Amino acid sequence: MSDRRLVKPVAVAALAVLLCLPPFYLDAFWLRIGLFSLAAAIGATGLSLLSGTAGQLSLGHAFFLAVGAYGYTWLAGDPGPGLPTALAALLAVLLAGAAGGLFSPVAGRVRGIYLGVATLALVFLGHHLLLTADSVTGGFNGRSVPPLAVGGFAFTGDDPGLTVLGVPFGAEERLWYLALALFALTWFTARGLLRSRPGRALAALRDSETAAAVMGVDVARYRSAAFVVSSMYAGLAGVLLALAFRRVVPDYFSLALSVDYLAMIVIGGLGTVAGATAGAVFVTALPLLMTRYADRLPLVAAPGSGDAGIGPTEAARYLYGAVVVVILLYAPDGLHGLARRVRARMRRRRTPAGQNTAPAVPPAPAARPKEHTP
Amino acid sequence: MSVPSLQVRDVTVRFAGLTALDDVSFTVAPGTTHALIGPNGAGKSTCFNVLSGLYRPAAGSVRLGDTELTRLAPHRIAALGVARTFQNIVITDGTVADNLMLGRHILTRAGFAASALHLPRARREQRDHRARARETAELVGIGAHFDSLVGLLSYGDRKRVELARALCLEPRVLLLDEPVAGMNAGERARMAEVIQDVRTELGLSVVLVEHDMGLVMRLADEVTVLDFGRRIAHGSPDEVRRDPEVLRAYLGSVAEGEGAA
Ligand SMILES: Nc1ncnc2c1ncn2[C@@H]1O[C@H](COP(=O)(O)OP(=O)(O)O)[C@@H](O)[C@H]1O
Ligand SMILES: [Mg+2]
Repeated sequence: MSDRRLVKPVAVAALAVLLCLPPFYLDAFWLRIGLFSLAAAIGATGLSLLSGTAGQLSLGHAFFLAVGAYGYTWLAGDPGPGLPTALAALLAVLLAGAAGGLFSPVAGRVRGIYLGVATLALVFLGHHLLLTADSVTGGFNGRSVPPLAVGGFAFTGDDPGLTVLGVPFGAEERLWYLALALFALTWFTARGLLRSRPGRALAALRDSETAAAVMGVDVARYRSAAFVVSSMYAGLAGVLLALAFRRVVPDYFSLALSVDYLAMIVIGGLGTVAGATAGAVFVTALPLLMTRYADRLPLVAAPGSGDAGIGPTEAARYLYGAVVVVILLYAPDGLHGLARRVRARMRRRRTPAGQNTAPAVPPAPAARPKEHTP
Repeated sequence: MSVPSLQVRDVTVRFAGLTALDDVSFTVAPGTTHALIGPNGAGKSTCFNVLSGLYRPAAGSVRLGDTELTRLAPHRIAALGVARTFQNIVITDGTVADNLMLGRHILTRAGFAASALHLPRARREQRDHRARARETAELVGIGAHFDSLVGLLSYGDRKRVELARALCLEPRVLLLDEPVAGMNAGERARMAEVIQDVRTELGLSVVLVEHDMGLVMRLADEVTVLDFGRRIAHGSPDEVRRDPEVLRAYLGSVAEGEGAA
């Protein structure tokens, strides 16, 4: 029993150490994959809280990512108030949360697929604003993003120059640790939420608003709170993405981005941080890897090669589209649920027959029954 | 804990052309068990939905002590100490503990910030209330399943989870909609015992909707009989059992009470 209880902290510590190593061994390409994956994991955690835990379908996640990214860029930049960048990052997250709160009158009234369509409108509205509000957003060409600097330490290549154990720390190396810290914060806070009173109230909303209400959950308040919290994670992911891209452009924050995030949480498994993370890594890394290794993949044309064949980005979309379908059919609780069941099975195999203690973990239903009539 | 009386006065509920409740009145005296019986479609569940704030009646009033309930949202009524179960089980995915902790929602405070930051007071609250929830689980006879996924439990156990979750609100009035429907004889007897126990131990008022006449006769202090939304009889179990109107409308068709849900 006592060594079982030790396993977890040791594993977490080992993982933390492992995640600190890449800048010493991997080049900028891999660090960028990791950076984008971590940013996506933060955003996907937010969407998972909203759509997975609270059961509110959102196609508007790209909008809240954009609020974070552009919010930071404007707040820290010129034109803009030119605030200290750390403050601008914090305010951008709060701004995204406020945007989620502003949407709550809609979220409080519209449910299910209709909510999905209403959030779709947000993406189009946001895209239109990004293109037309030139003075804030830079219009079609976007804006360059002021690098984050905390107490004289800038997350850029050379301010101040830094070499650790013989490895020069450029922007990617520095941003890697920033992303890691923000991801750890996301993991910590989201797990705290999911495993306590607010998380249980949100899950109750998903399974039956009626039952939640008679248990004393203020349905309207929690529905909008889900939007606010989810949007804050999206805002944080947006800030990080802006820092990693160093330039924000409207076309990135399109409907396709919202769909990518939905794919992440479905692939990973709804309503868990680990699932959102796994899905985020998969969906983010796949197109980047396929682009890099396009010349070695059958049927995929290398970018700019002029070969017949589909481009690596489209190929990645097809591939994860297929993965989504397979998951919906065979593992509706996603990679996370799959891992859980494999673990449960291994545990049962290890315990001698006859004193079978580990319960079987049934797969969650793909489509949760929504409302029950009382 | 002082339990106020629950007064239902002239409540009328209409659905597109159908009058589901027609001028229904009854009073649940503090600490008693009041049974609401009648054939399927009589309006019993509709009455519960009015009491818990899910339906707003077209006319009439529901008072808990001095508080008018018909204008309150369901979560406010819950906060006043009115808890209920559903005719068809409505529980949340997750473990028994998750469900029971949901039942303690109104008795706990931890908000988004405190929970996200794992603040000590939030953790302490969670620990304390988890212990209380475990006691409730044991009281209802599902202590052994406290950490089990509800999806793995038997039908009877899931019914008990619903009862335990309602009890976790520490209610003053408990509304039970067909608590033993679909159970076998052994499960019914155990459930009846549990209901009896919680009423005497916790001193709360119980409003019981049930087709099992044996159970009703055993548990109820008073009985109100509905038929097509109207109250057709009222009184002690013995009076009601002998009421010719009741025999005609209800007991005649569902002989000695083993009526299906
Ligand atoms: N939400 C609703 N909309 C329309 N009709 C309803 C609704 N709820 C209940 N009814 C109708 O009201 C009548 C009473 O139903 P109910 O209260 O469920 O009966 P009971 O619980 O006594 O079997 C039934 O005819 C039922 O069809
Ligand atoms: Mg009913």
